[in-house]
Amino acid sequence: MPRFVHPLSPTIFLRRNAGKTVPLIAVICLAVMLVQSIIALINSIPLSIQTIYRYTDRFLGVSPRLDPTLTGVFVKELTTNPPVEIERVILCRGSGAQVKSIVGKWPFAVMGFEKDDLEYYLKRQGYTGIEGRRPVDGKPEMMVSTPVARNLHLKIGDVVLKPDDSDNFSRQPVKLVGIIQCERWLMVSNKQYLANTQPIPIDFALIFAKNLSDQKVYDQWAAKKMKGKFAQLFYYADIEKESKKMFEVLYKIIDAVIGILVLVISIMMGMLMNIYQSQRLVEFGLLQAIGHTKKQLFRRVLTESVIVIIGGWFFGLVTARLLLIFLKAKLMDPQAFALDIGDPMAISYTGPVPIAILVIAFGTIWLRFRKFDPVAVVERRIV
Amino acid sequence: MVEAVDVSLIYHDHEREVFACRDINLTIGKGEFVGILGPSGSGKSSLLYLLSGLKNPTLGEIRIDGVTMGSLNDTERANMRLEKFGFVFQQPYLLGYLTALENVLTVNFKLDERAKSLLEDLGLKDKMNRYPHELSGGERQRVCVARALVNSPEVIFADEPTAALDHVNGELVVDMLNRHRKDGSLVMVTHDPAMIKDSDRILVISDGTITRN
Repeated sequence: MPRFVHPLSPTIFLRRNAGKTVPLIAVICLAVMLVQSIIALINSIPLSIQTIYRYTDRFLGVSPRLDPTLTGVFVKELTTNPPVEIERVILCRGSGAQVKSIVGKWPFAVMGFEKDDLEYYLKRQGYTGIEGRRPVDGKPEMMVSTPVARNLHLKIGDVVLKPDDSDNFSRQPVKLVGIIQCERWLMVSNKQYLANTQPIPIDFALIFAKNLSDQKVYDQWAAKKMKGKFAQLFYYADIEKESKKMFEVLYKIIDAVIGILVLVISIMMGMLMNIYQSQRLVEFGLLQAIGHTKKQLFRRVLTESVIVIIGGWFFGLVTARLLLIFLKAKLMDPQAFALDIGDPMAISYTGPVPIAILVIAFGTIWLRFRKFDPVAVVERRIV
Repeated sequence: MVEAVDVSLIYHDHEREVFACRDINLTIGKGEFVGILGPSGSGKSSLLYLLSGLKNPTLGEIRIDGVTMGSLNDTERANMRLEKFGFVFQQPYLLGYLTALENVLTVNFKLDERAKSLLEDLGLKDKMNRYPHELSGGERQRVCVARALVNSPEVIFADEPTAALDHVNGELVVDMLNRHRKDGSLVMVTHDPAMIKDSDRILVISDGTITRN
């Protein structure tokens, strides 16, 4: 019965020379892992910030600047002829706190609601339950969602806001009475307590579009309408834009670093592959002498290189994923920091690695084959 | 049939012209065993490489069954070597990561049965699945003989196939080449007259010229 696998098939060579091919695959794998992990970890900075403020994509927040009496005026203006249907407007009070982010402390709003408004707000944020209880009207009590509790290592009964804490200030110690089961970052208290303890009575208005999918359209409309007015708007698209802008320079630096890294790795790998193929000159000379064409040999070597490079790239992606899963579990999750394990940008940054290695390997191998004389091998001028 | 018509091979050593072969005229008929004898550096290997298309003559032409080698492109010449010729070199060159059988099949992997039967005939029945480093020098050269014979070539070119072997193994290899070549011609370069004692014709070459035929 005839054989089904040609003895000169690339897979046979790669399998039987595992001692040479595995290190090559490993180096490419490590390079890909390095690039993907670096990008994913760096992306986790803006991603974490966006995650912290993602609760703002469920409403438009508006507060007046300078004149506290303007809240009502702005609400009227923003609810007259809106492009989408408005479901509810909540007037709440706000106080400041701080959460930990990858790049240090970040400001976060503690929002004080009336009872019904709190229920609506929590539903809107997609909560699934509460551990403990809701804050009692007028009492110095508050609730946080699970990521915030994780981030600040809080448990029920802990004091969150204090008179002697400038970052998390309140006139009285404010106790944590409940933890909201929700993936979004939330800090809520009761409106009455915040109103009683704040010297300037400023109401914040939260305006909710009827359909969640319309909120973005409404936010854009409102942003245009309030341009140039003494109003401060809070909405997710703006926060997302700002966080991206904040890291623009950082990304440019990273692009340069990754570019240099890819170039160095590619040249090194291309040279390694060239050395690796040079060790096979006797084999190529013999095969050419007995009648295999340069084209056939070149195609074969190229196929082997493609298998090694693609294999290294694939294993690199897998290894990076495993590494990121580990880092997320050990480093990020305990503090509720965000890390996208399948970050498409990080994966796309690994693309140039195999392509550049392939181009350099292709070039050097082609040059070698172009000038190669099999007689030099059979005459033993090359051994 | 292999023909060399007014063939010369000239090397340029700095500004000096060196004739590796000079004005060679030669015909090797079907099934003929031709021995090429000469001292080291006489040009006998160069002549073999010219006849087999591994080298291009500087002057003159080589014809195989009436087809001029010079008119063929690299691929056509390679195909001719693969299909019509068999090669045995001085050193028993084998691919280290292939077994003896697989090395024979590098010429044509569809000839599995023929390769096995040749290896059996060459006394390597129990060693066909061994790797070259597990074989002795003589066994390795026998694998090379099987590789040269596997596709029943029209011409077998052997360039001092016994040089790396002791006398007993050398004679065995030549005997095997001679016995298994069927109707194929055998052109063997050697400096040992004993190895071509069964040849039909002996060419003696000196300074690139055939001095005796």
